[in-house]
Amino acid sequence: MSLNELMIMRHELVLVAAVLALLIIEIGMPEERKQKINVFAAIIAATVTIIGFLPADTGMLFGGMYSTDPLRMLMKNILNIGVFLIILQSVNWLRQDLYKDRSSEFYLLTFSSLIGVSYMISAGHFLMFYLGLELTTIPIAALASYEQFKSKSAEAGIKLILSSAFSSAILLFGISILYAANGDLYFESFQLSDSLINVLGFIFFFSGLAFKISVVPFHLWTADVYEGSPTNVTSYLSVISKGSSVFILTIVLFTLFRVIQPLWEDVLYATAILTMTIGNLFAIRQQNLKRFLAFSSIAQAGFIMLGIINGTSLGMTTVIYFVVIYVFSNLAAFGVLQTVGHASGKLTMDDYNGLYKTNPQLSLVMMLALFSLAGIPPLAGFFGKFFLFTAVAEKGYYTLLLIAVVNTVISLYYYLLVVKAMFINANENPIASFKSDYSMRISLVICVAGILITGFYSPVFEYIKYLCETF
Amino acid sequence: MATSAIIFYTIAGVMIIFSLLAVTSRRILRAAVYLLFALAGTAALYFMIDYQFLAAVQLIVYAGGIVVLIIFSILLTTHINEKLEKPAPGKVFITAVLTLGGFVLTVYTLSQHNFIVSDLPQTEATVSHIGEKLLGYGEGGYVLPFEVISILLLAAMIGAIVIAKRKASDS
Repeated sequence: MSLNELMIMRHELVLVAAVLALLIIEIGMPEERKQKINVFAAIIAATVTIIGFLPADTGMLFGGMYSTDPLRMLMKNILNIGVFLIILQSVNWLRQDLYKDRSSEFYLLTFSSLIGVSYMISAGHFLMFYLGLELTTIPIAALASYEQFKSKSAEAGIKLILSSAFSSAILLFGISILYAANGDLYFESFQLSDSLINVLGFIFFFSGLAFKISVVPFHLWTADVYEGSPTNVTSYLSVISKGSSVFILTIVLFTLFRVIQPLWEDVLYATAILTMTIGNLFAIRQQNLKRFLAFSSIAQAGFIMLGIINGTSLGMTTVIYFVVIYVFSNLAAFGVLQTVGHASGKLTMDDYNGLYKTNPQLSLVMMLALFSLAGIPPLAGFFGKFFLFTAVAEKGYYTLLLIAVVNTVISLYYYLLVVKAMFINANENPIASFKSDYSMRISLVICVAGILITGFYSPVFEYIKYLCETF
Repeated sequence: MATSAIIFYTIAGVMIIFSLLAVTSRRILRAAVYLLFALAGTAALYFMIDYQFLAAVQLIVYAGGIVVLIIFSILLTTHINEKLEKPAPGKVFITAVLTLGGFVLTVYTLSQHNFIVSDLPQTEATVSHIGEKLLGYGEGGYVLPFEVISILLLAAMIGAIVIAKRKASDS
């Protein structure tokens, strides 16, 4: 194997190099200059993202353990951008005295988790898939309890690690059944035999992944973990973890489990309805905005299922397109939560009353993000949802479509509750006016640009469509 | 019944009993000891299929290392006489019904399947053979997962440091 061939694995190699570089910088840097590590990390994240976009060869490595193609590259690039934005949003938060001796660990764990994401998406073997999944989750479980002196954060960490261990066990059981029935672990040569046992294996496999995407009825950990974790870790969980699991689920369903498509359509049909409805109904009742966004992200996962049900390249396109928009919208919303929480320590809906009077720009960003999540034209979220609905309609599932539309209306109501709080509700002592730091502003500007551009600039959709058709 | 079948069912029975005890025991230290027997049973199964290397690893790493680690952490963090709360009877009932349903479904489906006996020649699992496969980079080689696991371990260690590190103001 030559070095040229190894460069197919560029995304992962660059990230491993980044982790090693950060480790060396952390060890070698004198104590009083440790603050600089934040800048380094942001630069490294930007470099990783840019290198990901450079053209490269695709193919398989290590006898089929690792495989990549333009579509998987795109998925990794989307998630790289997400991580870059999250790191920009974290910089100021990590500058606090409280975290100054542990800021490098934050970046190390984030990058390690991103390596897991990349390997998972590029997996060509069940073992690589499983390792990628674990590498995605375990560092984030440590980050969830990053503020270990807060009991909520420690609780979030332990809940995440236990529920993910549980889901991994179920997933592994599913994989072992599939292996026993079909005698192969390589994705390339894997062929489902016609037997009832595959249904059982698939159900276990799906349940394990559904845990990570927090699809109802596997969503019970979500709200508590999202609430207890630091806000930027929550955004990582809701955007990167969820996005990567959705990607790999789509790939696996469309390739390995293509034979049993009628079965997984039924499974997705039921879970999509449950996920949208329960996510939405619980979101209405939330006062804490992190819990609110947790349930909103559960509902969004339900919408994503709609695209997968379609089962054609159109369905795949809509799913990826929707995730791109979801990354930008959700990160914008979490960014505002993060900066407001950092400046004032306030997180509930009532605290946001009258935010527009004191912090108009942040309120506008939040409004755009929520409108995009709700799917109001002309923002990108509208097109994302619209295409998902098209995918369902094409399949002829009109009942499902009707339920999805009703759910969109419900979600519109609770997203507007927050907007109303910021713009209309009066408040005698609103959150004081403050200036957010530069990196946060850059990330919010990128998010807003993303929300607008992915909606209006149709080549984005065309490009994803082209890649999905050639997949 | 052949002798090997008798041995197999004995080991399997012991494993099932101790696994059940491990998850139902209300004293956490006892649960850890029951776990030890369940893990040792797995090693015995590996011996049965003539996979000595894996059996030895199972004994050294799991029965020897992990269980001792678990017992240490229990002794360091909890009181020895502490008992777990008794779960509510309603919960026990629902869990039992669901578990039993899942169990029956799984066993039924598995028993319906006609497993094919592999006709591949049995390879000898010597240490050198395992080593070659572990570091092989062609078809059937496992060097990539091997390296990814090392990243996972590095990340886990850093994660442990993050969780265990004191507050900056304490030091």
